[in-house]
Amino acid sequence: MLGLRNREKIAVEALYDMYSSSLYGVIFRIVNDTELAEDILQETFVKIWQSFSGYSAEKGRLFTWMVNIARNLSIDKVRSKDFRNQNKNQDLENTVNLIDEQNNTVYKPELLGIKDLVQKLRPEQKSILDLVYFKGYTHVEVADELGIPLGTVKTRLRMAIQELRKNFN
Amino acid sequence: MKNVKEYIESGILELYVLGDVSHDEKLEVEAMAQAHPAIKAELDEIERSMELFAGEHEIEPAPELRDRILNSMVTNLADDRTFRSKEEKAAPIPEAKVISMVQPKNNDFYKYAFAACLALLLVSIVALVNVYNKLQDSNSQVAALSTQTQQFSKTVSYQNEQLNIFRGSYKIIKLPGTPKHAAASMMVAWNPVKKNVVIDMAGMNLPANDAEHQYQLWAMVNGKPVDLGVFDAKPDSVTMMKVMKSVDKPQAFAVTLEKRGGAVNPDMTNLTVIATI
Repeated sequence: MLGLRNREKIAVEALYDMYSSSLYGVIFRIVNDTELAEDILQETFVKIWQSFSGYSAEKGRLFTWMVNIARNLSIDKVRSKDFRNQNKNQDLENTVNLIDEQNNTVYKPELLGIKDLVQKLRPEQKSILDLVYFKGYTHVEVADELGIPLGTVKTRLRMAIQELRKNFN
Repeated sequence: MKNVKEYIESGILELYVLGDVSHDEKLEVEAMAQAHPAIKAELDEIERSMELFAGEHEIEPAPELRDRILNSMVTNLADDRTFRSKEEKAAPIPEAKVISMVQPKNNDFYKYAFAACLALLLVSIVALVNVYNKLQDSNSQVAALSTQTQQFSKTVSYQNEQLNIFRGSYKIIKLPGTPKHAAASMMVAWNPVKKNVVIDMAGMNLPANDAEHQYQLWAMVNGKPVDLGVFDAKPDSVTMMKVMKSVDKPQAFAVTLEKRGGAVNPDMTNLTVIATI
C-alpha cells in the first residue's frame, strides 16, 4: 500500500513537472485570473489522475488528451453563470488584446523567440486559433461570429496549424 | 490514396485534435487513423504542432501550487479507494436500517391507536347500555313511587274523612240485631248538620247475603220508611266505610234484606237490625 502510494507520488510528480507550465499557460489564457487558473489547474490534474484509465496511447498523444481536459474545465468555468456575472461580456477583440497585453509581462525571456513565431501567423489564422483554442468556439460558431463559410474556417484553421508546423519543425 | 489525401485536407483532423468533432466523427477519425498510417502520421504532426503551440504560451505556476496539487491528487486517490469500497458496502445498510426502524414504529402506532379506539368504543357502548337500563329501572321506580304516593294520598284523605266521623260532628248509632237475627249488629253514623249517612263496613256483623239479595238501609222519618241505599255484607270486605243517601231528621235506622237493587217498601219480615235515635 505504501509502495503503491510512493510510486503514485513519483508518477504524479513527473506528470506535474512535465506538463504543469503548458497546461497552466493555456488555462490562464482562457480564464485570465490567477486564483481561478490555479484552482482549475488543480482540478485538471485531479481529473487527469482519476480518469487516467480512459486514456489510450493509440488514440493520440498524452498532452493532447490532458490539454483538452484543461481546456474543457476552463471554458466551462468561463461560460458558467458565476463567471459571466463577474466579468461582464467583453468584446471579443478586446479580450484577446487584453490577454496578449497581460501575458507579455509574464513571459519568460527564453520563450520570447517562440512567441515571435506565433506572431508570424497571419491575423485571420491567429484569431481563428484563439477563438477555437482559448474561447472554446466550435468551427460552426466561428463561422457565425466572423461571418465566413464553414469551409473557409476549416481551411484557415488547417493553414494556421500548417504554419506552426513549418516554424516548429 | 486520393481519398486519404482529401480526408487529410478536409480539416477534420485538426478539429479532431482540438476536440471539436461529434461522437460519430470522432469514431470515424479513429477508424481512419487505424486503417491509414498516413492519417495517423498526419494526426501526430498536428498534435505535436498544437503541443508546441501550447508550450509557446506556457507560464510557470506558483511554486507553492506544486505541493498543494500533488497532495490533493494523492489524497484524492487514496480517499477515493478507501471511501468507494466503504461506501458501496456501507451505504445500503444504513438505508435499510432507517426503513426497518421507522416504518414498524409507524405501523405499531397506528395499530395500537386503532385498537385503543376500538376498545374505547366497546367500553362506551357497554356503559351506554348499562346507563340506559338503569334509567329504565329508575323510570319504572319513579312510576311505581308516584302510584304509591297517589295511593297514600288517597288513603290519607279517605282516613281523614273517616276521622271526621269520630270528631263529634257525627252521631254514632249502634243497630242491634232483631230477635230473629240476634247475633247481627252494625254501626251507622249520621251528621245532623250535613245530613249525610255513613255505615261502618269493617265493623259490620251481618249474615252474608247471596248474589240475588242485598241489604237495604232505611230511615224512619215521621213514621214512614225512607230508602237510604243498598249494600253487600261480605266477611272479607276491604272497604272501611260506605256513604249512603242523606236524610233529614230520622227517628230510627233499620236494615232489611231485599232483592238485589233494593225495594220501594221494606219487607219487615226480613228486618235484620234496627235502632231508634
